[in-house]
Amino acid sequence: MSITRRQLAPAVALPFIAAKAFAQGTNPARTLVVAVPSDAVGLEPGTNRAEPIGSEIILNVFDTLVAWTPPEFSALEGRLAKSWTISSDGRSFEFELRDGVMFHDGTALDAAAVKFSLERTRAMNPFAQASFNLINEIAVVSPRVVRIVLKEPYPAFMSILAQPQSAIVSPAAVARLGDQFAANPVGTGPFIFRSRQADTNIVLEANAQYFRGAPKLDRLVYRIIPNASTRRLELENGGVDIIQQAGQLAAIPAETIQALRNNRNISIIEVPSQIIRQLEFNNNKTTGPIADIRVRRAIMHAIDYDGLLQGVFGNTADRVYGPLTSNSWAFNPKIRDLAPKYDPALARRLLAEAGIRPGSLTLPLYTFQGALWGAVATFVQANLADVGINVTIQQTEFPALRALHTSGNFDVALDGRQPWYNDPDAHITIGYLSSLADTAMTFRFPKDDALDAQILKAQQTVSMEERKALYFKLQEDILARAPGAFLFSPKLIVFARANIRGLVINSAPPLNEYWGVSKQ
Amino acid sequence: MVFVAGRIAAAIPVLALVLIIVFLLVRAIPGDPAVVLLGPGATREQIAALRDQLRLDLPAPQQFLEYVAALARGDFGLSLKNGEPVLREILLRLPATIELTLMAMFVAVLVGVPLGVICATRANGPLDHLLRLVSLVGVSIPAFLLALLLQLIFASYLGWLPVSGRTSALVTEAPITGFAVLDAMLRGDGAAARSALAHLVLPCAVLAAFLAATLGRYVRNSMLEILGEDFVRTARAKGMTRPRVIYVHALRNALLPAVTILGLKSAEMLGGAILTETIFAWPGIGRYMFEAIRNRDFPVIQGTTLVFALIYVMTSLAVDFIHGALDPRVRRKML
Repeated sequence: MSITRRQLAPAVALPFIAAKAFAQGTNPARTLVVAVPSDAVGLEPGTNRAEPIGSEIILNVFDTLVAWTPPEFSALEGRLAKSWTISSDGRSFEFELRDGVMFHDGTALDAAAVKFSLERTRAMNPFAQASFNLINEIAVVSPRVVRIVLKEPYPAFMSILAQPQSAIVSPAAVARLGDQFAANPVGTGPFIFRSRQADTNIVLEANAQYFRGAPKLDRLVYRIIPNASTRRLELENGGVDIIQQAGQLAAIPAETIQALRNNRNISIIEVPSQIIRQLEFNNNKTTGPIADIRVRRAIMHAIDYDGLLQGVFGNTADRVYGPLTSNSWAFNPKIRDLAPKYDPALARRLLAEAGIRPGSLTLPLYTFQGALWGAVATFVQANLADVGINVTIQQTEFPALRALHTSGNFDVALDGRQPWYNDPDAHITIGYLSSLADTAMTFRFPKDDALDAQILKAQQTVSMEERKALYFKLQEDILARAPGAFLFSPKLIVFARANIRGLVINSAPPLNEYWGVSKQ
Repeated sequence: MVFVAGRIAAAIPVLALVLIIVFLLVRAIPGDPAVVLLGPGATREQIAALRDQLRLDLPAPQQFLEYVAALARGDFGLSLKNGEPVLREILLRLPATIELTLMAMFVAVLVGVPLGVICATRANGPLDHLLRLVSLVGVSIPAFLLALLLQLIFASYLGWLPVSGRTSALVTEAPITGFAVLDAMLRGDGAAARSALAHLVLPCAVLAAFLAATLGRYVRNSMLEILGEDFVRTARAKGMTRPRVIYVHALRNALLPAVTILGLKSAEMLGGAILTETIFAWPGIGRYMFEAIRNRDFPVIQGTTLVFALIYVMTSLAVDFIHGALDPRVRRKML
């Protein structure tokens, strides 16, 4: 019997088609597959460095005492804490815990577990040390009540307690697993850690006993797919349900977003973020053109901010006017008017006043690698060429740019900051406190006692209204120093199959919660 | 035996040299792992403390000697990124790379050698021209482009094959050997085995394309040379059938240069695997190394480079031995 080619083709293809559809006892309708660009660095709250993927998984496996309330994320709600009180001096925080919350290993949550977890993070996490070292004492008042006393008032501490570093771990599991706890995290969260294969996947299973109710999914699978176009194809093919844009540097480009918008099987969820991207000056420089505020102002006026949002981002980013994003509770609306407007003629005049002839100034503009940063740099280059400044673009790897930054060997650089906790402090203190000038991701502000005192006061003031007023003034004072051109704030964009419901996207930091998610 | 021992001994300085060069290179490129690890807001003191803890402040020669001493004990150090032992992390990922490259080599030989023979026996005919054109494309097309094209056609458009990954996302059983196909068979799970095989097809095709095309061109050329030699004419004159002459007598001789090429190119293929592994979300050591370079994870960069160098050296050794097996003259020289 001879087999024709026509008969052969399905015979060859069938096993593959079958293989694609096979399910291995798992219900695909209750399994959510999330694509992420890189493997989680760790699933251990104790050592978490605000790396996005590990942080998100931690927040789905563990709970924190408090969490930001969706969809505004401007107020805190209790999670493991039923209620709390803050002393009038802003130093003492007392939490009453919920009853009957169990860890995944069957042990009960109590005040001792909270004390254990926070002290553990303080001891083992250099990243969060600056905040956790403010803790003077954690007291177990009763099995249900825990009191945290700080060395000095720090209102943003509540925000820190909502972060993955503050997630509550099972002391029994830590004792039992020792070093292996990081590989087998045990919390109280909506999902239970099941398995992890390096660079392949991380699998979580629903916690049917979860205190807020069992998740609507049986299983949550994180698939690690480093290539953006592969992630897109997988989403279009239904191989993954959600693409998490966590890695801003490996994000899906705007033109692809447009293509996905036209696909009816895919929904695009856009949320404003608190991320700021800027062209920053090396403000610590005392010589050279950048030391002259007229040159800095000229550059700030030379950039067509709206054109950038339209041309490069296709409106997938928002305007930023100053040191805080417009969705921050501390944003000063006056900054919208104070922010430099696109005005090339004014820019040319300012340059002339500073004695810079058109074409005589050449600046290397340092930035990260990647098409997106390349496009932003090219746009800025064209804007500056228009006012007579030559720009050479230098795209470097992340570690190399950081090295350059901390050493201060640059005039202008494109950079950005994603606050790792939801408080203006995360932008203002790290960005502009002069004692942090030589560290990564700052504007390298020169020593300025008045400004420093103002920043620290805003950081420590207990009254919310007073704090707000302090940050209002700070935004004006910082902007008056012309620290850089605030370019844009990328929206958090999550791509999901159209049948996904109930996704909660946190804005700062941008971590998704999958507890309420279901597939229709 | 003497030959084997001699060749292995000769490999040691090569590896030592690779180690020294990589050790110095990773420290010469700008970027401080402590800064990367600590993230924003880390003070100078914190960075200094971490550098001290990671022993990055020691003089380079001392760091190197400590590293070599640890290596001698089989200790590749700890990853700066996540504190895991580098050797264990490499061993976790090595099966994926080996599975992919071995399969790609197998396919490349299966396609490349007949391709060369067909071209040679029909030299300058239309089929020869067509196949040579195909192999020219195979040699010159960039791996990432071929990968995207194959994904678009076979995964996205036709829907026959998965886009990426090693197994279906629904297979979450822990690995036994680390070889996905083998693991599924050991578990007696036919569907998972088929899934693993289906996932292998596209990355394997991308990786094999270059090698098959190169092999084809070499086999064609050496076949043409051999087919013109006296012993071939004699064999034909003795009444031996044409296929027997071609496949038994000529091919064996024509394969000699092909084996050399296969060996060298397979080692090079590991380099190509970095890109293929990234595009197909294949969890191999190529991707691990690439990530490590981006994170300035010195111990991982050193460890993976050493493994790559070892594989390269071992492949060259294997090529020599296969040469000996195929060619008695080489064998005699070896002894």
